[in-house]
Amino acid sequence: MLKLVVVVKFKEGIDDPEGKSITHSLNLLGFENVKRVNVAKQYEIFVDADISKGREIGEKIVKKLLVNPVIHDYELRVEEI
Amino acid sequence: MNLKKIMDEVYEIDLVNASDEELMEINKEMGLALSLEEMKKMQAFFRSLGRNPTDLEIHAIAQGWSEHCSYKSSKPVLRKYIFGIESKEAMIVMQDDAGVVEFDENYAYVFKIESHNHPSAVEPYGGAATGVGGIIRDVLNMGAKPIALVDPLFFAPPDYGEKLNPGIKHPRYLLNGVVAGIRDYGNRVGIPTVAGITYFHEDYVNNILVNAGCLGIVRKDKIVRSRVDKEGVKLVMVGGRTGRDGIHGVNFASKILDEKSEEEKQAVQLGNPILKEPLIHLVLEANEMGIIYGMKDLGGGGLGSVVGEMCHAGGVGAEIHLDQVLLKEKDMAPWEIWVSESQERMLLAVEEENIDKLQDLCKKWDVEMSVIGETKNDENLRIFWKGRKILDMPLEFVTAGVEYERKYKTKRMKKMQEILPEPKYREVFLRLLSSYNIASKEWIIRQYDHEVQGRTVVKPMQGLIGYETHGDAAVIKPLHHSWKGLAVTTVANPHIAKINPYYGSLYTVDEAVRNLVSVGAKPHAFSDGLNFGNPEEEEIMGEFVESCKGLGDAARALGIPYVSGNVSFYNEAFGKNIPPTVVLMAIGIVNDIRKAVTADFKREGNTIYLVGETKEEMGGSEYYRIMDAKSTVVPKVDLEETKNRSEEILKAMDESLVESCHDVSNGGLAVALAEMALGGSIGAEIDLSSLGAMRDDFKLFSESPTRWVCEVREENSEEFEEIVKSKRIGVVGGETLKIRDGERWLFNVHLNIMRERWKNALKEYIG
Amino acid sequence: MKVAILQMEGTNCEEESYIAFKESGFEPEYLHINLLKKGMLENYDMIFVPGGFSSGDYVRAGAIFAARLKAKVWKDLKRFVEEGKPVMGVCNGFQVLIELGLLPGTDGISEEPEAALATNESNRFECRWVYLKKFSDTIFSKHVGDKITLPVAHAEGRFLADKKTIEKIEEQNQVVFRYIAPDGSRPDYPWNPNGSVNDIAALVNSYGNVFGIMPHPERAFFWYQHPDWNRVKRERGDGWQIFNSLFREIIEAKNR
Repeated sequence: MLKLVVVVKFKEGIDDPEGKSITHSLNLLGFENVKRVNVAKQYEIFVDADISKGREIGEKIVKKLLVNPVIHDYELRVEEI
Repeated sequence: MNLKKIMDEVYEIDLVNASDEELMEINKEMGLALSLEEMKKMQAFFRSLGRNPTDLEIHAIAQGWSEHCSYKSSKPVLRKYIFGIESKEAMIVMQDDAGVVEFDENYAYVFKIESHNHPSAVEPYGGAATGVGGIIRDVLNMGAKPIALVDPLFFAPPDYGEKLNPGIKHPRYLLNGVVAGIRDYGNRVGIPTVAGITYFHEDYVNNILVNAGCLGIVRKDKIVRSRVDKEGVKLVMVGGRTGRDGIHGVNFASKILDEKSEEEKQAVQLGNPILKEPLIHLVLEANEMGIIYGMKDLGGGGLGSVVGEMCHAGGVGAEIHLDQVLLKEKDMAPWEIWVSESQERMLLAVEEENIDKLQDLCKKWDVEMSVIGETKNDENLRIFWKGRKILDMPLEFVTAGVEYERKYKTKRMKKMQEILPEPKYREVFLRLLSSYNIASKEWIIRQYDHEVQGRTVVKPMQGLIGYETHGDAAVIKPLHHSWKGLAVTTVANPHIAKINPYYGSLYTVDEAVRNLVSVGAKPHAFSDGLNFGNPEEEEIMGEFVESCKGLGDAARALGIPYVSGNVSFYNEAFGKNIPPTVVLMAIGIVNDIRKAVTADFKREGNTIYLVGETKEEMGGSEYYRIMDAKSTVVPKVDLEETKNRSEEILKAMDESLVESCHDVSNGGLAVALAEMALGGSIGAEIDLSSLGAMRDDFKLFSESPTRWVCEVREENSEEFEEIVKSKRIGVVGGETLKIRDGERWLFNVHLNIMRERWKNALKEYIG
Repeated sequence: MKVAILQMEGTNCEEESYIAFKESGFEPEYLHINLLKKGMLENYDMIFVPGGFSSGDYVRAGAIFAARLKAKVWKDLKRFVEEGKPVMGVCNGFQVLIELGLLPGTDGISEEPEAALATNESNRFECRWVYLKKFSDTIFSKHVGDKITLPVAHAEGRFLADKKTIEKIEEQNQVVFRYIAPDGSRPDYPWNPNGSVNDIAALVNSYGNVFGIMPHPERAFFWYQHPDWNRVKRERGDGWQIFNSLFREIIEAKNR
């Protein structure tokens, strides 16, 4: 069994309103030194496949659904469990 | 607690031989939330059968007898005051999951309001979402298409600064979580949220209130009852699977919140709007095909109370095979399956020959179904688990439950009213505009989709695009081929009710009427959401009795029935009860939506009228609250006036004489005028001298009932005056709101300043 | 002219869309993605992707709907577009068309998305009325007035693309409607409700037959759906003009 961990985040320079809003809230809560928050989404995908195929499957899943290349960067980790 | 395993996941409990002490131990260990008296009643029953119960049987009874399911404390009071108000148009009243009222020759509307308080206090996002999901199912299972949602919410002020009790979350966090929950659920299922309340009062700090209401429309020949009156009908579960989420939700709802409540998160279910949306399609299509014999949603009490109530109401018994229920997780015990309150589930009664058709529909909509049993020609409920009978009891005993005549005490406050030194009017006026109960709720309203379905013809925010003000009610046009509309509003006045619950109720009914009349609707039916503290305290029970008495007296005098409702008790934590909170969801009929009226001023030069009498009754008013002044003199309602003034205004509207109309409530006349001016982005000049001899703060800020402000074209003013008993108080125009009393100027404030104060007060907390 | 109104779990504007097409002289039909099979799209003259929250908008608005369409009928869909048949998406439907690579479609069809409708700058869902100005005459807009008002209701409507794509969109005159302030000037929030680049509210592809719009014309089809109907007299809603444009440009043109 494989565990594919995909972290999808905004590309550098793409405005992230959620991150901004959380920054603002944290400042209001007294964390004045918080300057920026990046929000990312993590998917954990469990696949019944061979480790050698892991990355390929992961890349396909990412391309097909999880990422819009115009705004997103991603990291993909493949673990055997 | 003595127990004996009789098969996998099923135990027999030694109840018959238990001492009182042991009974309460069983009660506690099984999390039943019953009283000793109730445990003894249960014991006596099994002694009479000469056997011990299974754990399933005990849980089933506890569920049926919970306050939430049985209304054991409230029913005698409701029966006395609320039930049985005559109405020719009410079709199904206080019987099924929602009330049904005639709309026109062929259609009926269906509606109900309900509370989801305790789960929302613990997990605001999931709790509120689930509240919305549950009320939608209540309307859906009458066979109706849900067409509008409402959501009255009650919190402590968002800037609450006192120390919070352990486990209690800050009102600001709760407010944001609840709004997000309603937004994400309501928007996703595609039902417009068109009305609501966001009300702030310190006494909600330990126990917020989240009420949700739904309105639907159904062709009369397609109304489905929540009952089965025939043997051999299959019982089919449709929709979501059953899990451990929401086990003991009803017992949780009938319990006082404490610091442990946080750990009871399993009592909060998680809704899934994307399962609900196809479920709505499926149910409506199945109903259109005529294959639904009876239907009920699985809400509080889960499968247990649904099977029980559905069969008991129709006078049949049932046989259930619990191993047929589709589960989210393995290894669930039968009792857990029976009481689980997992969301998005419905129980359909379907005749055998139609099961295949239902199966096809389920396939199309990607919804799961499972036949779990059928009705029987007797009075008993029998449950089987892997072939073995593990419950066998008369439905009457489980479902009809218990009832109490609880003791109560009526508190009377001494009449007094502090008289303040005359304030600076401009300053008080601006403070009122930014007080949380008056300030713009646009930040909340716009997060809800109020346009989906394209039926919302009078919006929750009314006025020039980009400058809208709060409307009194929204108007929905339910049918494509008809100009007839339904007006929807919600009202509550806890500040007044806290001083005098009886008059609080009268005022709330009067305000519901005011709101509906303001948009041109004839008040038609109510659903009552009654939220109170701990009914075991005599004073709280007294508040409940007085509130119901007021609701009954007012509605009876006006001839408006309560067709559905909900009681939520035990809204108490850390020794603090909430103020008595009567919430009304009120529906009015708009004969022709082309004549509907909005609250915003329309045109320079139009005449402004005040309808109704202004009195020096400041108890519960926003003005006295912000000035920290005391008064127990609450506004009193003359129901004859309510009736006459409403009829007059509706007549004038029917003749198209009214350009805009707004009721006078929170903040009094000054705030009503400001809201109308803001919405139209046009000012007004007002002279209060026709209100008689009274100090100007009373004239400006009194919240006396049965009052409206109407805008009328000069050429129609004579005709208007002939129809409506009213006083001419000013003219629309300019960029400021100028108010004087004869020669004396009280204030002159520019629209931009008013808007700034009104619009931004809550922005920081929810924006 | 047969219009396929696509449905999947979570689409929720199909009924008002159905009414809008029907009242405009089309023959709309619901087509659920679970029932959609290869070859079926050929039976239709137009595809409409309605608004809603397809699959809950989980992952990204429109992403799952697009991925499922791609997996099922991508070839058919491409052929449909290449044959010049009209495709229209509103709100979530617009998001789906972008995720499919059918819009902005600066070069026809792209296999990967060329743009995104990202989370609103305000970081919240907002339901409000906006003013739009027409910038391009297409089959969807030819008979639409210069300035119209429609409601928006979305959390993800901020149009984003890289500089080159934006330039190309502008060069090829693909922006059909932009948000404007009530006086016609360039809008700030809330008149540009989501922070879209160049105030873009609606786009057409380079072929001129795929159209996506964030605001909801089907919710402003009748005059009484407008919030200001007791101030401004209209015969019909502003959204009707878009459906009417299609009718006149396609059905009437055929009969001429």
